[in-house]
Amino acid sequence: MQVVAPVPSRSWRHALTGLLLVSPPFLLMLFLIVAPTVQAILYSTGQVPTDNIVFQSDIDLVSSATPTLVVYQRLLSSPYVQADLAMTFQVTIASVVLVLVVGYILALYVRFSTGLLPSIVRVLYLIPMFIPVVIASYGLIEFFVANGFLQTILAQFGIQNMPSPIYTPWGIVLGQVWTGIPFAVLLLGSGLDGVPQELIEAAQDVGASFGRILWRIVTPQVVTPLLIVGTFTFIGVLGSYTVPYLIGPNAPQMLGVAMTAYNGSYQRPQPAVAMAVLTFLIATVAGAIYVWGTSRTERTAA
Amino acid sequence: MSRLSRRRLLTRSASGLFGVGAVALLAACGAGASSAVPATTSSSQAAASTAPSSSAASTSTASAARSTAAATSAAAGGKVQLHFYSSGDVNIQQLWNNDLLPIWNKQHPNAPIQLIFSEHGATDQAVIDKLAGAKAAGKPTDIDLFEGGNNLRTYGEKGIFVKLTTADVPDLSKTPPDVVAEIGSYGVPYRASSVVLAYNSAFVKDPPTTLDGVYAWVKANKGKFTYNPPDTGGSGGDFVQATLEKFIPKADLKTFETSYDPSLEKEWDPGFALLKSLGPYVLNGGFYPKGNVPVLQELGKQTVYVAPVWSDMGLSYLAQKLLPDTVKLEQITPPFSGGAAYLGVPTGSQHQDWSFKFLQWVLQPDQQTVIIDKINGYPGLEWKYMPGTVRQKFAALAKSYDTFSFSSKFSSDVNKLWYEKVAGTPSPAKQ
Repeated sequence: MQVVAPVPSRSWRHALTGLLLVSPPFLLMLFLIVAPTVQAILYSTGQVPTDNIVFQSDIDLVSSATPTLVVYQRLLSSPYVQADLAMTFQVTIASVVLVLVVGYILALYVRFSTGLLPSIVRVLYLIPMFIPVVIASYGLIEFFVANGFLQTILAQFGIQNMPSPIYTPWGIVLGQVWTGIPFAVLLLGSGLDGVPQELIEAAQDVGASFGRILWRIVTPQVVTPLLIVGTFTFIGVLGSYTVPYLIGPNAPQMLGVAMTAYNGSYQRPQPAVAMAVLTFLIATVAGAIYVWGTSRTERTAA
Repeated sequence: MSRLSRRRLLTRSASGLFGVGAVALLAACGAGASSAVPATTSSSQAAASTAPSSSAASTSTASAARSTAAATSAAAGGKVQLHFYSSGDVNIQQLWNNDLLPIWNKQHPNAPIQLIFSEHGATDQAVIDKLAGAKAAGKPTDIDLFEGGNNLRTYGEKGIFVKLTTADVPDLSKTPPDVVAEIGSYGVPYRASSVVLAYNSAFVKDPPTTLDGVYAWVKANKGKFTYNPPDTGGSGGDFVQATLEKFIPKADLKTFETSYDPSLEKEWDPGFALLKSLGPYVLNGGFYPKGNVPVLQELGKQTVYVAPVWSDMGLSYLAQKLLPDTVKLEQITPPFSGGAAYLGVPTGSQHQDWSFKFLQWVLQPDQQTVIIDKINGYPGLEWKYMPGTVRQKFAALAKSYDTFSFSSKFSSDVNKLWYEKVAGTPSPAKQ
């Protein structure tokens, strides 16, 4: 095989092919993410495009020649929005912690147990993945709601008036954990599969307890999957809509629900867009942690 | 059939129109069109909506001219073909296509009516643009009948729809005058529905008959009442509206209905305070199901015994056995609000005589009874003109309804303030 083609032309062609190949996702990012983000930031700081009738229709429209933070100030000083924000954070953090704890326990159980039961669990934890969120939400409502299935069963045993989590923030957490578990267990499970059995056996040989093996040998090996599950769950729950809309209380609302209400029912797209920008910023922080975490492990692996 | 969601749909389609209008304007400028004659030469109080509709009108002129040719050729023989543009849910489409129009077409072989149906009114604005275009160009149109709501009045005032009198449609006199006035006589109300109070007679022996009676009942029967948040459906929305309206001075009602002035919103405070005081007595200590249907489902599960519902939805649910037989519907005093669906005639229609005949025909008790039976609606006629059997069946409902409704911006504020002041924090104080 002879290489006769002039090198510069070839690399030029390579570069062009590379650019062409990378351009569809890049353009998609540009038009679907970057451009709307810029537009949203401009709009929420008072730069209202005159040709956008939907943006113009805001009842409390703030329009100014120079960028202003009035929309954000109004939004963040409202006690109702503060309550929305507080609940959003509480639900998000509770969901992340619970998904991590429950997911990790399930993954450990499936990894380190043998027999029939773990194989059944292995099938069961995947089920939520195949049930659409809307249907799962209605299922949870019918099961846990006041006078629902659970309370009807309990009433047979004389247990009555047990408070129901449905239509409270805990109901949202319940829904988020349900939907988050399959992904968490799958990812943590594959992380655990990567832990060499020899390491564990060696530790057992020198008499290390299960807790010690878990803490000193197994967990350090799955920090990255834990980080990925944590950040993905955080971002997913933060911007979620279906579960909090269906299972959550009328008020306060999670940001996703509040955003939709401001945009539609309240005829106030500007604060809705401002909330979207805030959500985006918070999610960016989580995204940065994820990128930092994964690149760090890649470096140590290399 | 929620009026609020319909209104939201209208708002959205209106904003969509603005977008379309803007594009049309650009296109018109690009082509250097000189024929941008505004469709609204007469009294135009809504300057904002004038510009887009006139620009859209200029672009649809061509299609109007085309359709005119078709219409004239059709009129050549003794037989004419009428085109009826209607919109709504599938039940309305079935009502016309399967029940009413076959009867008309059989009785009037010389003037058969073809239905052009737009689900949820998705193309209503396009139809109106076409009419506006034809009018701007001074051409007739092939649209002979149009089913609509507020748009009949809005565009009627711009000369696109005929202002109807009893000379055109004699039985217009038998329809409720305030319902006709609501639309400025630009349409004939042919069916209606309203929000009513549903109660389960198995548990409620002495149902409240007044709005104040409802509040008293709610406080005396903890957890057995609920309504949906105002933005999720008209049944709860009208309960909220009736409560707010109760405290608004009569002189300000017109402003609340037609314009927007946030400084007047302090007049809602007593109404919101009253609603909030009901909170602890509402289902589960303050749970408001999200939608007309979820409220009906609570009634069906018998977790609540009293709730406001849409008359037509309640009757349909009863007919389908989705509600226990013991659930009864009644209109209270003062009544909850409701709305009618109207039929209008475009000024450019070439078969207006036939259109008027059709409107008169629809208002006859035979056709009105079909409407009641098929979609559980109210008649367009006043109840007293309906056959005795129908009146008996609807005895508890056969009253007039309130035609008041907040303007679009006011009702957006009702939504926001309801979430903040009624459902929102701090949670309702126990009383």
